Amino acid sequence: MRLDFAKKLILFSLLVMGIVWVIFFTDIRTSVLSTKANDECLSCHEDKDLTMEIKEKKISLFVDKNKFEKGVHGGSDCKDCHVNYKADDLPHVTKKADVDCKSCHSDLKTEDHNVHAKVKCESCHNPHYSSPVKEIKNNQTEFCTKCHNQKNVTVFKTNIHAQKNVQCGDCHKSGHGVKDISRTEVAKTCNQCHKNAHEKLDNVLNKSMMKTGNTNAPVCTDCHGVHKIYSSKLDIQTQACLKCHLDEKKFPGEEKGSAKFVAEYKTSVHGMLTGKDNKQAALCTDCHGNHEMDDPKNPGSAKMKANLMETCGKCHADEVVKFKNSAHGKAYLSGDIKDAPSCTSCHGEHNIKNVASTEKFSKINTSDMCLTCHKGGKLTKDVKNNSDSLAANYHLSVHYVALKDGNTNSASCADCHGAHEMKPSNDPTAKTNKKNIANTCGTTDCHKKQAEQYIGSIHQVAVDKDSKDAPTCTNCHGNHQIAKRDKGIDKNIASKSVVKLCSDCHSSTGIIQRNELKDITRTFNESFHGLAVRGGSGDAANCESCHGYHNVRSPEDSLSSTFKANLTKTCGQCHKMADKTLFETKIHIVNPQVESPWLFWITNFYILIIIGTIGAMTLHNILDYRKKMQIKRELIKEKKSQENSNKEISQRDNSIDNTDNNEDNGKN
Amino acid sequence: MEKTNVVVELGEGKYLRMTRSERIQHFVLLSTFITLVITGFWLKYPEAFWVKWITFLIGTSAFELRGVVHRTASVLMVAGGIYHLYYLAFTYRGRHFLKDMLPVKRDITDVIHIMKYYFSKTLEKPKFGRFSYIEKAEYWAVVWGTVIMGATGMVLWFQNIFLPIIHTSGMNIATAVHFYEAILATLAIIVWHFYFIFFNPDVVPMNKAWLYGYLDHEEMEKEHPLELEKLEEYKKQLELEAKQKEKEAEIHKAEVKLQEEKKKELNKGTNSELNIKEAPIE
Repeated sequence: MRLDFAKKLILFSLLVMGIVWVIFFTDIRTSVLSTKANDECLSCHEDKDLTMEIKEKKISLFVDKNKFEKGVHGGSDCKDCHVNYKADDLPHVTKKADVDCKSCHSDLKTEDHNVHAKVKCESCHNPHYSSPVKEIKNNQTEFCTKCHNQKNVTVFKTNIHAQKNVQCGDCHKSGHGVKDISRTEVAKTCNQCHKNAHEKLDNVLNKSMMKTGNTNAPVCTDCHGVHKIYSSKLDIQTQACLKCHLDEKKFPGEEKGSAKFVAEYKTSVHGMLTGKDNKQAALCTDCHGNHEMDDPKNPGSAKMKANLMETCGKCHADEVVKFKNSAHGKAYLSGDIKDAPSCTSCHGEHNIKNVASTEKFSKINTSDMCLTCHKGGKLTKDVKNNSDSLAANYHLSVHYVALKDGNTNSASCADCHGAHEMKPSNDPTAKTNKKNIANTCGTTDCHKKQAEQYIGSIHQVAVDKDSKDAPTCTNCHGNHQIAKRDKGIDKNIASKSVVKLCSDCHSSTGIIQRNELKDITRTFNESFHGLAVRGGSGDAANCESCHGYHNVRSPEDSLSSTFKANLTKTCGQCHKMADKTLFETKIHIVNPQVESPWLFWITNFYILIIIGTIGAMTLHNILDYRKKMQIKRELIKEKKSQENSNKEISQRDNSIDNTDNNEDNGKN
Repeated sequence: MEKTNVVVELGEGKYLRMTRSERIQHFVLLSTFITLVITGFWLKYPEAFWVKWITFLIGTSAFELRGVVHRTASVLMVAGGIYHLYYLAFTYRGRHFLKDMLPVKRDITDVIHIMKYYFSKTLEKPKFGRFSYIEKAEYWAVVWGTVIMGATGMVLWFQNIFLPIIHTSGMNIATAVHFYEAILATLAIIVWHFYFIFFNPDVVPMNKAWLYGYLDHEEMEKEHPLELEKLEEYKKQLELEAKQKEKEAEIHKAEVKLQEEKKKELNKGTNSELNIKEAPIE
């Protein structure tokens, strides 16, 4: 673009006038500045639009007069700081010189560690409107974040420290001693406020690790964050513990403590229950503690076996109370049995799964879990040896077979023994205690009907009176190896086994004597019913046909099927005319002389007759035989002598001697 | 001719002991008796070794079969008994059988006598008739046993009918009586009957009368000498009678001859019509 000559002339004249103005009025200006210098400077710099371009950047040269005068430097001259500024020159200086604040602030104490040593004063203290230090202090966070505007620092504004009015300087020190906090100093720094936490942390793993020089040992900030302090437990988990403990480089291998071992937590019930339900989920710190976290081997550790119950009991209080009273718990607490199980023995450690949905705890698999100890001599001497085989027999029981067939209602170990409340059967509160077994089998819907029948029976009443002989469910059905009642079985075999079952007790002289029973087994076996059962009849009455099984009652009990008034009905099941029959004698006649004298006398009469008759017959026949044999022998003798005499005759015939004698002998 | 003795000599030294009817009766009795003994004690002693053999052979239904067989045999036995009553009442031989079987005073004296004989107090063995005291005891024991066993057996069989009448106590007694009577009967048969039929040195190895129905002369001499004597006597009597008759007949013939001769003599001199009239009258 070509400028007109006139315009060029105007520009030139203006330039000349300018130069002249500068030459002529320089002295005047300086004199003005010295007296009313600030006003003179501000005469230009009051203009809000006054800018300057440095390296293609527009810089505002505006100075707010009011603000400046209210600031700490309000009383001082521009010149005090802007040394060597020539008011007439534009720009005032060719090369901007650093303001030497120390010329006035010579008493400043700057500490060696001051990370801001190279930072210019004006970066923090606005030179024109410098506020008092107090004001800076009150607004420190805002103040620092002007420079430290990285995201990871600015989050500080929203964290709990900011809310509680903790400022940057509280940790980093303020004034001119601002410092960078090294890992070793973190604890000390936090300790200023968090004294308890530090003490705990100092006592445990952290300290031991630090002492060995392992700088990987976590410090406060590793877990709690630096500027963003995590207040939520979950954040600490994911951000802090797992950050390191899932690192396979830091924790190699597959053993306890390895990253893989810890990783199991992520799929555990504790790790999976996040989201809305995360309040119930256990996090690392819930079990391991936070500041007092320790090596599980140390006796004080929360994860130490001895402390495990307290640890788990924080959430699972009911279960732990039950467990403490259980045989497992007692054995475990006493310390006598090394292998006694605690929570983790069954449930695992990091890989704890929901009992309801885990294969391991499914009814069919719990037995395997229990049998890992209760089989094969893994147990100590305190546990009865035979319990090994008994427990193993469970796999042959109807319960296990039903579970295998998919009937999830069938009983597994815990259903009878209880899970956490497992107790030895001699404990009166044990589910398997003799007095409680009927309840255990019957209170649930499993065998309710049978238990209702059993309760009130003569057996149950005796069991309730502490009888050791009286049977409860398990005495007849077995305990671990409960056999199936095979409905297809031959009726006679079933009948015989019932008789045998009852006879096991009712023919035992010990049990009969102790309980003042009668030897009804013998009388049954000799009765027609008994003979028929023994012979092979499937229809003949056995014990249960008359007495029932679960609700066996005394014949004196009006509810009993063998109560006199009920006999017509009981016997009537088979004998149609039973209702017209008088049952004046007992069915089991143990002592006939008293209970049925007619029978007694007729029986004895017959025995006498048999002995007398058969004895007399035998005697008669012996005599008869003897006599007849005697006669036979005599006949043989006679024959022989006759033969002999015949020989003699023939001899004598030859010698022709004493013929008369021969004739006599022959006659004899 | 009136029969005075039922023992009949069959000739060739054979003496009829049991007719075919009697042998059949005996066979029915023995076969049902053995069956009842086996099936009865089978019930009472179900664990006995021989019961196990039987059940092994027959199988699981053995017990049910046992009951059926026992009752069938009992019916047959009672039927045989009833026929025997008919036989006793309505046949000549039967009535004689009963008469010979009734106990008499001589049976007691025979027992005393034979005891003396066994102990060699006397050399003479008592002579037995058609039925000795041994056989009489045997027979009446069977009668008694059949009645008792039949009665108690019926009670046990039809317990539904008898229960309201005799009640449980009566059933117990019936059961006991049935059992003890069975033992008595079985032992009696083995000790008493089997001895005299099998082991008796006079008949060893067996008295075959129950098979063929006859005894030979030697057996008759030993077992039933009195009967034999009676038979011989009867035979002699018969012979005498026959001889007398012969003599009478000879005399009669002689008389007739004489008369004929007289008539011939008369005929020579009298009417032939008179002869015709007289002949039919004689």
